[in-house]
Amino acid sequence: MHDLMAHFITPAAERIWESAGSVITEEGEISLEPKDDEGWSEVIFGAQVIIESSYSLKRSDRSLGREDWVAFSSLLEPIGRQALQAAEAKNSEALFQIGADLYQACVACHNVYMKK
Amino acid sequence: MKNLIIQVTSIIFLYFYSSIVLSHHAFTAEFDANAPINITGKVLKVEWINPHAWVHVEVEDQGKSTIWMVEGGTPNTLIRNGITKDSIKPGTVIVVRGYQSKGKLCLPRCIANGRDVTFPDGRKVFMGSSGTGAPRDGADPRERR
Repeated sequence: MHDLMAHFITPAAERIWESAGSVITEEGEISLEPKDDEGWSEVIFGAQVIIESSYSLKRSDRSLGREDWVAFSSLLEPIGRQALQAAEAKNSEALFQIGADLYQACVACHNVYMKK
Repeated sequence: MKNLIIQVTSIIFLYFYSSIVLSHHAFTAEFDANAPINITGKVLKVEWINPHAWVHVEVEDQGKSTIWMVEGGTPNTLIRNGITKDSIKPGTVIVVRGYQSKGKLCLPRCIANGRDVTFPDGRKVFMGSSGTGAPRDGADPRERR
């Protein structure tokens, strides 16, 4: 599970998180929105991985019959689809909100299953 | 579908060789509950980004300047608590209470998890995230429920 998270799901989530928001200094505010098609392709790919992750996490050898695990994992699919749609529309503002929703989905599961 | 499988396989391969920094993590994975900090300094930079906003604070002490990167909650959480991009503008002098990272070399910068921030008008606001495993130190109003 650690490898799946560290090498697959987290990097995909980071592609979504890092595609929105801004950095503010005394010189002004810089948007983190991708600047070119290559950058948007990265976000699209991240969204696709999140969608696939939903299925992957629900595999029987991972869910082990736990209904809440399946429910938590299921949260990722609609969020991934929303991210995919926003990325294809190059809508960074929408991705900012979707990124927050993605984090809440992560935390909901981690609060139960991630060792603190 | 075939293309997607190839893409997914490729990215697993690529990331296997990448250094990975976890954006989201449990408190205890990164921060030291036995190393509380209380710093006062000027905001240099704000990274308004999910899953954690970061506030860079310049602390002056006896002529020496130290920059702290303070991790906060999600931007949405901060907004709900009354912290906006406008209220934490660069140049604002703030007081931050929190916990230092387990790594304490401060190279290139000191890193901390922020619990609450006090603004120049005296307003003290929770700046962390609930449910991360941070110490129950009274900073998070949800803990009192």
